[in-house]
Amino acid sequence: MTFESDLLAHLPQLRRYARALTGDRAWADDLVQDATERALNRASAFRSGTNLRAWLFTIMRNIYIDQLRGRRDIAVDDEIAPWRHMAAPRGEVDGLVLRDVQRALYCLPVEQREVMLLVCVEEMSYQEASQVLNVPTGTVMSRLSRAREHMRVLLGEDEGRRASSLKMVSRS
Amino acid sequence: MTQQDRPSDRSERELQALSAYIDGELTGDERDATTERIATDAASEATVAAYRAQDNALRALFAADEAEPQIVVMRPRARERYLLAACFLVVGVACGFLLHMLLPALGEPRPRFAERADIAYAVYAPEQRHAVEVAASQHDHLVSWLSKRLNRTLTIPSLAEYGFDLVGGRLLPGEEGPAAQFMYQNAAGERLTLYMTTVSRNDARVRTLRDGPRTTYYWASDRVGYALSGQIGQAKLQAIAYDTCKELGGDPKNW
Repeated sequence: MTFESDLLAHLPQLRRYARALTGDRAWADDLVQDATERALNRASAFRSGTNLRAWLFTIMRNIYIDQLRGRRDIAVDDEIAPWRHMAAPRGEVDGLVLRDVQRALYCLPVEQREVMLLVCVEEMSYQEASQVLNVPTGTVMSRLSRAREHMRVLLGEDEGRRASSLKMVSRS
Repeated sequence: MTQQDRPSDRSERELQALSAYIDGELTGDERDATTERIATDAASEATVAAYRAQDNALRALFAADEAEPQIVVMRPRARERYLLAACFLVVGVACGFLLHMLLPALGEPRPRFAERADIAYAVYAPEQRHAVEVAASQHDHLVSWLSKRLNRTLTIPSLAEYGFDLVGGRLLPGEEGPAAQFMYQNAAGERLTLYMTTVSRNDARVRTLRDGPRTTYYWASDRVGYALSGQIGQAKLQAIAYDTCKELGGDPKNW
């Protein structure tokens, strides 16, 4: 029973990641369903004492990547992309308009989006994220760095910062 | 991400260090060096601030919705579904096979021996000089010879009460081994043949094969197929076939 209860404890997080990754609540719920089901069916494959959260995220990510390939065949163009229909968030955080951040996030390639969500939202260590993404930690580091820079460009900050470095100096 | 998207004045390595710094992934000298750079370099400091702002904004965007229940449905696993399908397939095939065994008559073509008997009649009945190989005068020899070739004790029924006397018999190639043909003739010169051969399957029901003027009644019992062929009236032939079948150990209830 410990395995099941441990697994249940991770469900809200799994769902948050699924929703953030897909930008689509229905898709995300299906992902969580599929991933949880697969995890329960393969409970014997989980080695106790290892990282259950990373194991669960890995399962779900593999399903997502498979489904993404399938959906790409249907040619998701920008106008009908799932996140177009997400509720537009209100407000700002640290001077960033949330709606802009949301849009920028879904403009990122999926490799950058997933590493960003794992580390920044799920607060995974690079080591844990590397396990989920099945890449070396060095790749997690470089990919995340590129994702952050990419997002900064998308948010239009980059040019602003370079053009007004004086302003930044005066603030500091 | 393309090259021009990157700030040209900063190496990727420096940006990676800043990124890893805010995630707490740097240790030792690297960490100290980065701390120092952020403190002295306004651009580095701005980068770190921008990254942190991104993190905070993302966390705000995806606050976990703990209250919402998640329903997980356990469906049968794919492998189990395949197994189930395979089981049904096996059961289906077995049912079909059993049905095939139990109902051999359904849609089954007539035994070949009946056709062979009909053809043999058509060939030899008109024959005047060589209608038989062994004549009825050598009755004992005829019986022992054909019994030996068919590997079973044959009985040659008498059809005298219908006015037909035995002419003799001959050996013929059959579908599943040798076959014996016995010929009878009445005073009017009409002929009947009784054909016998071994068969692999018993089908005791008596059935009819008609081909032109010829009629053949055929049945099988005790792994011998019997066929009585003739060109006399059908009612008469049927009566003879009925008695013959009974005499040869067949069950009249099959009529």
